[in-house]
Amino acid sequence: MSKPAASLFHPKRLNLSGFINTRLIRDHNKRMAFEQTEPERQALRYMIRNTSLPGRTRAQAQLQLSQMHAYTRPTQIKNRCVASGTARSVFRDFRINRYQFRLQALSGELPGVKKASW
Amino acid sequence: MSQGRLLDLVKSQCRIFSLNFNPQRLRLGNKILRQRLRGPALAAWYPKQEVSFRDLQNTYKPLGLTTFDEAEDDREEAIQIAKLRGKGRPKKKRTAAESRSAKKKK
Repeated sequence: MSKPAASLFHPKRLNLSGFINTRLIRDHNKRMAFEQTEPERQALRYMIRNTSLPGRTRAQAQLQLSQMHAYTRPTQIKNRCVASGTARSVFRDFRINRYQFRLQALSGELPGVKKASW
Repeated sequence: MSQGRLLDLVKSQCRIFSLNFNPQRLRLGNKILRQRLRGPALAAWYPKQEVSFRDLQNTYKPLGLTTFDEAEDDREEAIQIAKLRGKGRPKKKRTAAESRSAKKKK
């Protein structure tokens, strides 16, 4: 079986602003794909967990869920830094990684954040 | 209180709060249905571009105003320079025969 193309999930027009690189766009596409297919995935998950349904139906639902494209899977999504695209040590509250956080905080771009001193 | 009375109580409680009455404790997967959708929150992680330069151009061109996109201009200039140096993009192969002959040349 051939691998389904990830290009299925490329948008016609990219509507991202700020820092952009390939890996960030890829992650963004995965987020869009997950958002679109989430109700379907949840329905399948419900069928799989429901023990009152016939076993055959549940097995079919399992198969269908596992055969959905990898891009529609929430575990594929990785929080990346909005300012640099880095995937490591990203603060969820600020959506930037620790180095960008330091730079921006020191230059006073993050309201309410100041260097600790006592 | 008797077991039956308690069951009745739970049943009416479920009816009032529109919960699923399941005294046998069967695994019906209702917890999946209770979950909130995470998609919209996840999709909003990266900042969206609402208005692009091209949108501005499209709105102001019909009014007779001239616009200048510096980034686009730079890009076109770089392409022209690359072409002059013979480093431009190769011509698109439209037919299978063309692409085959291009491979043979190598």
